[in-house]
Amino acid sequence: MIDTLFPSRLFSHILLSSALLCATSIAVADNLKAFTAESFEEIKASFEGEEFLLGLWSVDCPPCMVEMEFMAELLTLNPDIPYVLVSTDPIDQREYSAEFLEDVGLGDKGSWMFADSFVERLRFSIDPNWYGELPRSYFFDSNHAMKSHSGIVNQELLKEWFNRPLVFR
Amino acid sequence: MKSFLTKLAAMALLLIAPISVLAANDCDDTDFSVSISIHCGNAPSATFDDSKRLWITFVQDQNVYVSHSDDLGKNYSTPVVVNPVQEDAEHNGENRPKIIVDRDSNIFISWTKKTSPRFTGEIRFSRSIDGGKTFEAPRTINDDGLFTGHRFESLYLTESGHLYLTWIDKRDLETSIERDEDYAGAAIYYAVSTDQGASFSSNYRVANNSCECCRIAIAPRGTEDIAILWRQIFGVTTRDHAIAVLTPEGKTEEMGRASYDEWQIDACPHHGPTMIRSGLSGDYHMSWFTNGDLHQGIYYARYSFDESQPRYVFRVDGRAGAGHPYLAEYAETLYLVWKGFDGQNTNLSLIKSVDDGASWTDPVVLHTTAQGSDHPLIVSGDDGLYLSWHTQEMGYVFEKFTTNQERPADD
Repeated sequence: MIDTLFPSRLFSHILLSSALLCATSIAVADNLKAFTAESFEEIKASFEGEEFLLGLWSVDCPPCMVEMEFMAELLTLNPDIPYVLVSTDPIDQREYSAEFLEDVGLGDKGSWMFADSFVERLRFSIDPNWYGELPRSYFFDSNHAMKSHSGIVNQELLKEWFNRPLVFR
Repeated sequence: MKSFLTKLAAMALLLIAPISVLAANDCDDTDFSVSISIHCGNAPSATFDDSKRLWITFVQDQNVYVSHSDDLGKNYSTPVVVNPVQEDAEHNGENRPKIIVDRDSNIFISWTKKTSPRFTGEIRFSRSIDGGKTFEAPRTINDDGLFTGHRFESLYLTESGHLYLTWIDKRDLETSIERDEDYAGAAIYYAVSTDQGASFSSNYRVANNSCECCRIAIAPRGTEDIAILWRQIFGVTTRDHAIAVLTPEGKTEEMGRASYDEWQIDACPHHGPTMIRSGLSGDYHMSWFTNGDLHQGIYYARYSFDESQPRYVFRVDGRAGAGHPYLAEYAETLYLVWKGFDGQNTNLSLIKSVDDGASWTDPVVLHTTAQGSDHPLIVSGDDGLYLSWHTQEMGYVFEKFTTNQERPADD
């Protein structure tokens, strides 16, 4: 084991501490939050008794861009739509995600980002039956009964899901 | 001063000592100078050369590295960097650097360089002609000069010495956008080298309307052609698999549909197939993931170009959380490994077939981990098959799973 060979770990820890300090100061510059195995429950709790839409995305997913541009436009017409974004990209690649969100017009909206390399557990915490395909959407009604969709969401689907009236262009 | 000396000593130690087992949990992501290793890196690929030396490539801190092992993965040489200038080499389950060593000990490395957060990239290639001491300056193999998607490359060397690079390419999408026309998905392109990677042919298109984000599987067809298997968009939204034969002259032949799952999805599955040629029948063993109307889960099938049909279709694992199969054959036995998640643990499972894929054994769990892990790969050696699997908990796992004699590992 290399860490038993020499006290390089001690030095690493000093570096790690200073790097964490830097990371903390960088983190406030964007609108991204760490998504862990507990985050989904936290999100649901924040919408207790309310309907909401959860959108899963990645910078590696071309159809996600189409969906997110559509959602950005919908949000300008319906600013109160309860819409939560979760990126499946690792949070250490946050610069790419922040740029992507700005590009599609959701920079202000912000997003959660996967913050655990055990991605299977994070996916499972949302839905054991989700295979990782993107975009993936979940709608929760006011009782938090769940409906899911793989692929780009469209007007018909959102009309069917949401109880509230939606304005479309 | 003391910490400087400590660091200096640690670095000196790294230069002279082969890196032994180091679990990824012990890696320090903030100071790469003291933890460049296969165990701390990401998304490795591995291969044996003719003298049974194990060669690996991996990505760490925007560098592609190559290292070797003479004791089957117990100890590794100090990694040599392939790209002198850091670049964002893709390093995930579907998109990793590739490595091949030819019979003259030339080492070929390919990877995808991410060039923006909007799915753009370039297909990169480098080689070593001095046995891995140094690598030539990386070259971009896509020849369109466009700032668009060229990603998910695969590398294959045929018995005849033809070196193929295939990838997913968005140049035709760009052309369609300029003409204000719709274009679904991306395209499959390839290039061939006939001079051990010194140069490559121009780029040849295989097919339009491929899926955008799944690895391409390659197996030999004869001595100098290759067969490739990829996820293709059939009709408007059906993302099943297509198969074709590519020649060194740039011809695409024998194109057919390889899977009929009816996965209607306007999304990125991020689940690419695996394929090998059967030593018994010369047919093609395929395995893939789908969540279609007809099939859901990991599937196996055997494809014959003569019949243009998948046969012996078998559901390997239909449970939620199963994915990323990988196939290999040794001593007339077919092996298939894949990953599953049961809510707590990731299980790496193995099944075998001794009748060319007509029937399969029950699964055996090879490994279990409660932390993150890469897609599993299999490396073929003279004396058996080896699991190549990067994990957070155990670091890089390289271990033989076939017995010396022959067949089933659990017999």
